[in-house]
Amino acid sequence: MDKELEHSFVELLEQHQNIIHKVCRLYTNNYDAHNDLFQEITIQLWKAYPKFRGDSKFSTWMYRVGLNTAITLYRKSKRTINTQDFDGVEFKMKAEDYDDTEEQQLKTLYKAVHELNDIEKALVFLYLEDKDYREISETMGISEVNARVKMNRIKTKLKTILNP
Amino acid sequence: MDELELLKKDWGKQDSTYKQLSTNDIYPMLQKKSSSIVKTLFYISIGELVFWILINTIPYFSSDSYREKLDAVYSNDTILVGLTIISYAVILLFIYLLFKSHKAISVTDNAKKLMESILKTRRVIKYYVIYNLVMAFVSMVVGLYFSIIHNPKLSETISHFNQKQLMMTYAIMIGCVAVFVVIIWLFYKLLYGLLLKRLNRNYKELKKLEV
Repeated sequence: MDKELEHSFVELLEQHQNIIHKVCRLYTNNYDAHNDLFQEITIQLWKAYPKFRGDSKFSTWMYRVGLNTAITLYRKSKRTINTQDFDGVEFKMKAEDYDDTEEQQLKTLYKAVHELNDIEKALVFLYLEDKDYREISETMGISEVNARVKMNRIKTKLKTILNP
Repeated sequence: MDELELLKKDWGKQDSTYKQLSTNDIYPMLQKKSSSIVKTLFYISIGELVFWILINTIPYFSSDSYREKLDAVYSNDTILVGLTIISYAVILLFIYLLFKSHKAISVTDNAKKLMESILKTRRVIKYYVIYNLVMAFVSMVVGLYFSIIHNPKLSETISHFNQKQLMMTYAIMIGCVAVFVVIIWLFYKLLYGLLLKRLNRNYKELKKLEV
């Protein structure tokens, strides 16, 4: 039975692994840290899997466990670089760095998103994954109205970063 | 175009850029140990329980004369026996509360509820530490007082003190014990502060959204 459970879990995880990769991409900034967080999310998913009853989609369940691990449970190992140290530091672009080409804009945007705090990153992540405000609010434990307000503030913050 | 819409457009195209793991890569990952803060918190709470129980029982088992003295006191003093029973009942209560709060932590809850469950567990440990520090403070002060009273040389010296000197002696005694207790308390604050720094910051951020 345990082997069957393990097998079904590994198969599902293999299919949906990009969800974890994307969480890791937002919350880490190097290869080792990415692998470290990937490992921890996998363990947390596996530990919680016996209670997964299938009343929600496996992917929806993964978003919740993945984000909870990244925001709350994950303790960075010593070998990973602490990206959170940059939290709260005002990130300003120099005018000469700014380029109108879409590629350059995207590069700057990814950099800007990395400078957001953990909660803001979670909201942005769910937004980028095309989740509606009901799902965002349920995952984060805040009201839909507050989720909307916060998303608007994040958009303004990103605008300010991009157009200092 | 809205900045996030531009990002969203690109975000969807990123899937092919991640290194895809095979089932053979995933199986060994399931055997690895977690290093989450909940696990660390669990080990620390077990450590707290064991540490304070040992502090209370080691002197009893390490010295025959101390044990004999205590046994003699206990056989004559029902209040002390009652207090001891209460202190063990309190430890059992804390074990129960810790077990309950640890069981309530679920990674599948929403982010805010998960943080609250962890903070609740941390509060139980905090109350346990405060309880032990208060008990340690009271027993050290009472212990010092009785050891002075029962030491002929010391009580002889103290009997010559005037009111002011006597007050000073007691103040120094209480002050030293208080400093000792505060140092231990600061150590705990630092330990939990470091462990839960990020969680506290994120919880505050979520709470801020409700204002």
